[in-house]
Parts: sequence; C-alpha cells; structure tokens
Amino acid sequence: MKKFKGLDCILLVDDDEVTNYLNKVLIKKSGIDVHVEVALNGEIALEYLTSTGKYSGNNGFPKPGLIFLDINMPRMNGWEFVEEYSKLDSNKKADIVIAMLTSSNNDDDVNTALEKYELPAYLYKPLTLEKLEEIISKFYPVEV
Amino acid sequence: MVEASPISLVLVNSYGKIAYLNSYAEKLFLYNKNELIGRDLSILLPQKYRSHHPDLLKDYFTNPVTRQMGENRDLYALKKDNVEFPVEIGLNPIVTVEGTLVLAAIIDITERKKANEQFRLVVESAPNAMILADYSGTIVMINKQTEILFGYERDELVGQKVELLVPGTVKRYHPQLRDKFYTKPQARPMGVGRDLFGLRKDGTEIPIEIGLNPLEKNESQFVLASIIDITERKKNEEAIRLYTKRIEAKNKELEQFSFIASHDLREPLNSITSLIDLLLEEDAGKVDAEMLKRLDYIAKSSSRMKDLVKGLLDYARLGKNSEFGIVDFNEVAAIVVNDLELLVKNSEAEINVKRLPVMAALEVEVHSLFQNLISNAIKYSSKYRKPKIEISAQKVESGWEFAVSDNGIGIPKSQQEKIFVIFQRLHGRNEYEGIGVGLAHCRKIVELHDGKIWVESEPEKGSTFYFFIPLK
Repeated sequence: MKKFKGLDCILLVDDDEVTNYLNKVLIKKSGIDVHVEVALNGEIALEYLTSTGKYSGNNGFPKPGLIFLDINMPRMNGWEFVEEYSKLDSNKKADIVIAMLTSSNNDDDVNTALEKYELPAYLYKPLTLEKLEEIISKFYPVEV
Repeated sequence: MVEASPISLVLVNSYGKIAYLNSYAEKLFLYNKNELIGRDLSILLPQKYRSHHPDLLKDYFTNPVTRQMGENRDLYALKKDNVEFPVEIGLNPIVTVEGTLVLAAIIDITERKKANEQFRLVVESAPNAMILADYSGTIVMINKQTEILFGYERDELVGQKVELLVPGTVKRYHPQLRDKFYTKPQARPMGVGRDLFGLRKDGTEIPIEIGLNPLEKNESQFVLASIIDITERKKNEEAIRLYTKRIEAKNKELEQFSFIASHDLREPLNSITSLIDLLLEEDAGKVDAEMLKRLDYIAKSSSRMKDLVKGLLDYARLGKNSEFGIVDFNEVAAIVVNDLELLVKNSEAEINVKRLPVMAALEVEVHSLFQNLISNAIKYSSKYRKPKIEISAQKVESGWEFAVSDNGIGIPKSQQEKIFVIFQRLHGRNEYEGIGVGLAHCRKIVELHDGKIWVESEPEKGSTFYFFIPLK
C-alpha cells in the first residue's frame, strides 16, 4: 500500500454505477491507500464537499484531494458542478484537484475545461492505471 | 421669305381666302399656285371640318397672335387627290396694307403619327406593364398590363404623377430619385440592392422589378419604365429558403445524432470490456472452459461493436473542420504508398502511380481516400497472382477522373452498388477482416468534393475504382 501526502480521498462523480465500480476496483488495484467516495451527480458531490443534504452532520469526512468529474450527468452536470464549486468558500476547496474524466473528445469540451474553467486535467475514459498514476504523481508527488 | 422656307406656308386673309402659298405647300397639297390663290381655304380641309372652320378663323382674327393651332386636337388636311393627312399648324399674324393676314406653317406629321402608333402597339403588346413618363414624372402612356398590375383604368393614370404608384415612405423622395435619373439618363434596372414595391389602387403593395429606359420622342425626353410583378418569384424564393433551412437543420440534427449516439454507446462498451478483463484476470480460476468461451465471445462482440461505433463516429466526422487547399495528388499517393510499406512488402504488390494533378481538394480526406482504395486493392488480391495496382488520372471537361485499378478478386455486378454503403460487407469475417466502412468513407469524401465514385469490376479479373473530382 502506498500513501500520498495530502491525498486522503478521491471523489468519483459519475452517474454510471458500473464506471464507478470499475474505477474503485482500479484504485484498489493500484495499491494506493485512499478513501474512495462516489457521487452520482454534481449535486451529491457538492453536498459531500459542504457536508449538507445526504451528508449533513458528516463533519469528519475525508476531504477529497482529487475529483474525477464526468460531464454528462442528470440533475447537475459536470459544467454546472464546476460553476457551483467555484462559488464555495476557499477553505472548502483548497488543494482539490478536479480532473475531467469523460469520453468526449469534442474540442469545445476540452477548451471549456482547460481554458474557461482552468481545470488542471482532462482525461479520456476509460481510466487506466497509467492515467491514475500519472495524475497522482503530478499533483501528489510525496509518498509517505 | 415665304418661298425660301423649307416648310409649307399658306397665307390666308380674314375672309378665309388663300392669298399666297409657297412651293412646299404646292408639293404637299398637290395643287399649283394658281389653282389655289384666291380660293377659299376650306378646299384644303377634310369635309367634316369645313362647316365650323370659318368660326375658328373669325375667332383668330379678333385676337391674332402667334400660336399653335388646335391645341389638344388632332388636325387633318386634304390633298388634291382627296387624301386626308395629319398635320401640325403654326399660326402667325402678318399685318399688311391690305389688312391682317395669317401665315399658316403646315407640317405633315403622317410619318410621326405612324411611328407613334407603332410605338404604342409595341408598348401595348409587351408582356410587362409599361409606363411612359415625361421629365416632370407625369404619366404619358401606359399599356393594358399596367392596368391589370395596378388595378387602375388607363385614364385614371395618364396625366398623373408616377408617385401615385409608389408606396409609403419612398413616395416622398421618389421625385428626387427621378431627377437623379435625368441627370444621367441611361438604361438600367431601378433600385439596385433594394426591394421595390408598387402601390395598387386598392392600397395593396406588390413586389416588383423595374427597368428604366430613357427615350427621345417627338423631340422631348421621356423615360419608359418596364415593370414585372415578382410576387410569384418572391414566394418561390421564400419557399426555397425555408426548405434549405429545414434541410440544414435536419442535417445538423443527423450529424449530432450520429456523434452523440456513437459517443454514448462507447461508455457502456468500455465498461463491458473492463469487466470482462477483470473476470478473465482475477476470476479465471473460478470459471470452467465453457464459461470462458462465452466470456471470450462477449469480449469479441464488444470489441467489434467498439470498432463499429468508431467507424460511425469517424464517418460522421469526415470533412468537419476541413478546408479546401491546393493538393498535390502525386505527393499524397507517394505518402500513402510509403505508409503502407509493410503491407506492400508482405503482399509483394507492384504499385504504379501515373502522373496525377495538383488541384483544390481536402487534403486529409484525400489522403484517407487513397489509403482506403490502395489498401483495399492489396487486401482483396487474388491468391493466384501478385497484386498489381495502377493509379492514374485524366482530365475531363470539368475536373479530373481518377482510376485505381487492381488485378484482385473483383466484385460481382450485383454487389457493386452495395459496397459503398456503410457497414455493408461482402465477405465473412473469417475471410477478410473489417467492419465495412472503408468505401463508405471513400464515397463520403468524394461527395464532400461534389464528385462521384463508382466501380467497374469483373470477378476473378480485377476492379477499377473511379472517382471524379470537379475543379473548384
């Protein structure tokens, strides 16, 4: 088991349960010691980050160091989530890395993510061990 | 003075007797001087005018001034041979010792009348509405079509200003436009670049097109306006515009549909593949041979579906964001042959590229077109001989016709149309690999160039794929 400094939790935001399941298996397989939380849309993800709604009273939650965010989701999609997220208090979002994880290779989407919202990463599905390790080593280089 | 004038002159006294006439008048009326001098003037008048002419004469002598005779009336005179002819007469009083005489200057206007009548007939029989107006914008003449188009009777228009037929806001500044025309009168369409409307008597407006022609008639300047009702044409144009818009929208929808469909289909496929991988990797010991076979089938099916989806996505995306540029087809062919080096070597294919043109095309797409056609020619080669491929082009009237020919297995006549349809395959998967998108891609690429692709082939002998690309 490997543990990276500052990375206590990975939040998977995707409405597809199978994808979430597979990504959980993948993270487990990678041997990284980290809590994995799943949110089926942007709204639930926000509730997790702010300890509201379904997560009210959950103050001891591990704060995610990495969010894998799908674009196309019901209720609140990836872009709407990013909009709402940017309004949060800075202490709630400090040090969180948001990575788009989508099957869209539409140029518009890539540009929106990287230029408009200045997201640090844009990954194509499916997530693989290589992609996971690359993004973690980039943003959480210190192994403890 | 009277004798030297080049027009016919007749001198008449207050009793209506002819006092003198010049030689032009003799020629005009076919009389000798001595036949007329001293005779009553009425001899030169058609019968029907004779009775009231003395009164007119009397009126004139009560106030003898220089003027035109018979304003707004057609005047006629009579020759010796009893032929009546139209005239124009100017009257000039001459005071002599024998009292006041009147000198009548007479012009035969037979030819002018004839020309006028011909002009009238031409205008009348024109298929368009025609309006003749003078420099003050007063309507002088219209034809039947004008009556029909604007819903006015002839005498309701003649004598009126043309602005009567101009609607709304334009009515106000139309006189200025008119004046501008007369500063440089030349035949031209009116109102270039703006939509013109005519105002009918019932107040409705009709879209029209107007041609203007300056015209000199009877020594005055006129303008002849030819007017076409373009209501029908406008209606058709609008219908075509709407139709085109609908097709464009449908096209876009279709494009989006295939893009999204392909896209959304990929995710669950990825999941299936990953799940099978997990099963085969981690749970391999727990499944028996039969289950393993089934899992393998699921894996193969999903991988095939992935290929199909990718093919569809690529197909939908063809030509998107590409622009025409000057493409050297010789270069493209050389690059493609080089890219296929391994395939060429393994199959021992002989590829002969003839001189190809340099022309406007979509470079990336053309590359893919050659890639598909050449690799197909190698793929479907006969097992009895080494593949021989020739690529050539010849100039035809409006573009270039390319040919890629091979000595391969050929295509039966009945199948030749089918091969250009996406996902259509002629062979089992165990015979030849592939999903059936290559030639569909080719057709779409050629059609993006507004061209055409077809095949001529004989089974067991070979195929030639032709495609035509028009010049831009």
